[in-house]
Amino acid sequence: MDDGILNPTGLLLLIALTSAPVALGVGRRNAAWTAPAAAVMAALGVVVTLWGWVAGESQVNLAWAPSWNLRFAFALDGLARLYALLATGIGLAVVLYAGRYIPLHLAHQKRDQDEVVPFFGLLMLFMGAMLGLVMAQDLLILFVFWDITAIASYLLIGFDQDDLEARAAALLAILITGVSAVCLLIGALLYHAEFGTFSLPNLQRQVGTSDWSGAPVAAGLILLAALAKSAQVPMHFWLPRAMAAPTPVSAYLHSAAMVAAGVFLIGRVYPLIALEQWLLDSLLVIGFASMVVGGVLATTRTELKQILAYSTISQYGYVVAMFGMGGKTGVGAASFYVVVHALAKSALFLTAGAVTEATGEKRLARLGGLRRSMPALAVGSGAAAAGLAALPLTSGFFKDELFFKAALERGEGVAALAVAGAALTIVYIGRFWMGIFLGPSRSTAHVVPPVLVAPVVVLGALVVLTGMIVGPIARLAEGAATVSYGAAVTIHPAYHLDARAENLMTLATFGLGGFLLATRRFWHSLASNAGRAGELIGPARLFASSVAGLNRASTFMRRTEVRDLRGRVATILAPAGFLVVAAVLATPTRGVFQIGAVGRNDLPMVLVLTAACGAALATALPRDHVSMALIVSGLGYCLAVVYAFFGAPDVALVAVLIETIFTILLLGTLALFPPKTLEHRSKEPSEHQHLRRDGFVAAIAGLVAFVVAWSALSRPAFQESVAIDHARLAPSAHAKDIVTAILTDFRGLDTMGEITVISIALLGIAGLLRRGRLL
Amino acid sequence: MSDGTGLNAREQGVTTVLTQAIARVLLVPIFMVAVGILVKGYADVGDGFSAGVIAALAVVLQDVTFGHRVVDRMPLVRVAPAGAFLGLTIALLVAFVPLLRGEPIMTHAPGPGAEVIHLGTLELLTAVAFDVGVFLLVFGFAVGAIGMIARAHGRRPGPA
Repeated sequence: MDDGILNPTGLLLLIALTSAPVALGVGRRNAAWTAPAAAVMAALGVVVTLWGWVAGESQVNLAWAPSWNLRFAFALDGLARLYALLATGIGLAVVLYAGRYIPLHLAHQKRDQDEVVPFFGLLMLFMGAMLGLVMAQDLLILFVFWDITAIASYLLIGFDQDDLEARAAALLAILITGVSAVCLLIGALLYHAEFGTFSLPNLQRQVGTSDWSGAPVAAGLILLAALAKSAQVPMHFWLPRAMAAPTPVSAYLHSAAMVAAGVFLIGRVYPLIALEQWLLDSLLVIGFASMVVGGVLATTRTELKQILAYSTISQYGYVVAMFGMGGKTGVGAASFYVVVHALAKSALFLTAGAVTEATGEKRLARLGGLRRSMPALAVGSGAAAAGLAALPLTSGFFKDELFFKAALERGEGVAALAVAGAALTIVYIGRFWMGIFLGPSRSTAHVVPPVLVAPVVVLGALVVLTGMIVGPIARLAEGAATVSYGAAVTIHPAYHLDARAENLMTLATFGLGGFLLATRRFWHSLASNAGRAGELIGPARLFASSVAGLNRASTFMRRTEVRDLRGRVATILAPAGFLVVAAVLATPTRGVFQIGAVGRNDLPMVLVLTAACGAALATALPRDHVSMALIVSGLGYCLAVVYAFFGAPDVALVAVLIETIFTILLLGTLALFPPKTLEHRSKEPSEHQHLRRDGFVAAIAGLVAFVVAWSALSRPAFQESVAIDHARLAPSAHAKDIVTAILTDFRGLDTMGEITVISIALLGIAGLLRRGRLL
Repeated sequence: MSDGTGLNAREQGVTTVLTQAIARVLLVPIFMVAVGILVKGYADVGDGFSAGVIAALAVVLQDVTFGHRVVDRMPLVRVAPAGAFLGLTIALLVAFVPLLRGEPIMTHAPGPGAEVIHLGTLELLTAVAFDVGVFLLVFGFAVGAIGMIARAHGRRPGPA
């Protein structure tokens, strides 16, 4: 590996970071050129990834914040290569398709054609985030790109902003994938806390040799994020809802990229997961559960994209299960499966879009017989469907062959489940394709632009071509599996004309699938009822009611809080007060709360403090606001004098200055009120009915403050030690004035935060008084 | 109520020749004190924060005496709010540039034990530069905020 930036990794990273700005920049000049610009970026991505394949592994590894052990580390390794090729290659097909589809889509909705610019900007943002994600060698960087994909997908799913369903679907998607992303962050932080590094290669080396008990928790949390992203049971329900997105988005995000990111993450952290057998076992269970739930529901749906969405859940269930089966066979088969599935599934999504564009129909029941009016589409999508159903002469055949082989290694029960799952695939994919293209014609099809059909044909041709020349995909999958497994993995997909177990299982699958397809009307109602039961008591319902409950709780909290000024103050002060009381109660009180001696020298101090107390009490008396403001500032001056007595001239100086400037600001602000309002408020009778309650609250608050101050001041040991440290260190900071050294050096970061707040406050004032103009 | 601020005192005929004379005479000395406190910050009482407030008070004194229209013509006052963000930039640079050099955030140079260039009391330290940033920010904030309030007050229709 050569370090530096001028290598395929660096170049691909450059494409990742510039693709969205380029698309947006071109689009700003001329909206019609946005899609071509995006296509060029995606094509460049394909070329660079292929170059990286030929040139071998390369990396970019720059120091970012070395003192925190953070490096800007990316590598275009075997795993990254596979997913980068999917993200850019299928991205290219989708961009070409969307270049025609999105303007039509906008025209149908009577929207401005310039909205293509943000669409392709977001699509490129997503592609860039995927590229960054797959190359990241550092968990923290990986998390950042992971979140960018979630945000881009949120905006893309909700691209039809006026559609309430699309917006709700987008929110659901970002809630599920965004909240679970926090698990990824927590997992990463757990690893960092134990091993002091986010770097994946380092972690893989260190975790294997340590006996850290937190390892399964950290790996499990990361796994949780991956499974939510891949729409696995029970976090699968966001994906069918996300079909509210425009079809190119579904084809890209929900076949090749966003959901693939989940299984990518499993592949990336596989060495960390594989250390725990129970994690692998749970992957197996979740994978099979998703396979069955997604598969059964896919047979019951009527909308084209819904069928494909549930199919995606099921298909990624395969991949997750294969990772769970583990071993070289399982990991190799999983990597191979991802490629074939992405090719076939994106083609089918694009088919659904083209069919809906041609007929205006979304439901399977109203479609049929389109083989006559759309022959090219029928053939292209037929090849893709055959690939997904694992028919021979397509690369899909090998994906199932490898799947069965891995399942056999894990036992006969797993193998039987695998056959059942594969048979389900045949049923819903067969139903999808036959329902659209075979049978009697039920709708009229308009001619669609060729560019809506061409990507389907190309992807379908790829599925068939790779079924005959399987080498390239096999090598791609081997590269990825080698990275995931941590040792060289080879896979040998081939046609074997003998009675080996995989072939028998394939035959059984075809038989079972054909049988189920033929007898669908007998078990259809059973499957629908299962689906309906799932809607009633399933995780989607649980999620919806918990969100609704959270919403109600937050509304209640807010209502209580903003009812009046008292409520607002109380919601902040009361919890803070309780915490402080709890802290006082929890600390030992031995030797505290002593009454010290008051000598003659303390007399001036006592006098000033008396004045301060008087001022504090006096604030409650006047009714007009200016007097109140003046008395409050008088109290501040008294305290400044106290600081001066304590021998803290720095603090006293600051206190006087602050008091002065804030009195002026307060009076100035009061002057901005309409005089009548202030007069009216000050003449209002005081609320006598609350006098007793207010007095009680005030007494309690005062008592607590008194006790807290007493206990804090009579326990000066800790504070002194910090102060002594500061005094000792001041000369090393070249300072003779300790307070200034504390402000600018020892506690400089605090000061930094405070002055940032001040500048934001200045902007706020400018926004309120001068419509944001500063000068 | 509105003359409680005194911000437009001259227009309302509250200030006298005496206050005006004193305000004019005091302007430069107050600035000098502020700069003195800023420069001596690392060796004596005071720091960028106090210096910023003191300098701002000098401007406020002019505001109170002559009204904001006169004060707004002072070049120093016009650039003060922008200066606040210059100050923030300086502070941010001091805080984050060490990251680029692979040091922890907010590492000051020269480090402990290293030789420091003195110009009288003034020491050439990044910590002092940070303090200057704080000074600019505080001065800009106070002058900007009070100026904006005064102008808003001038615009407000109300009883003369």
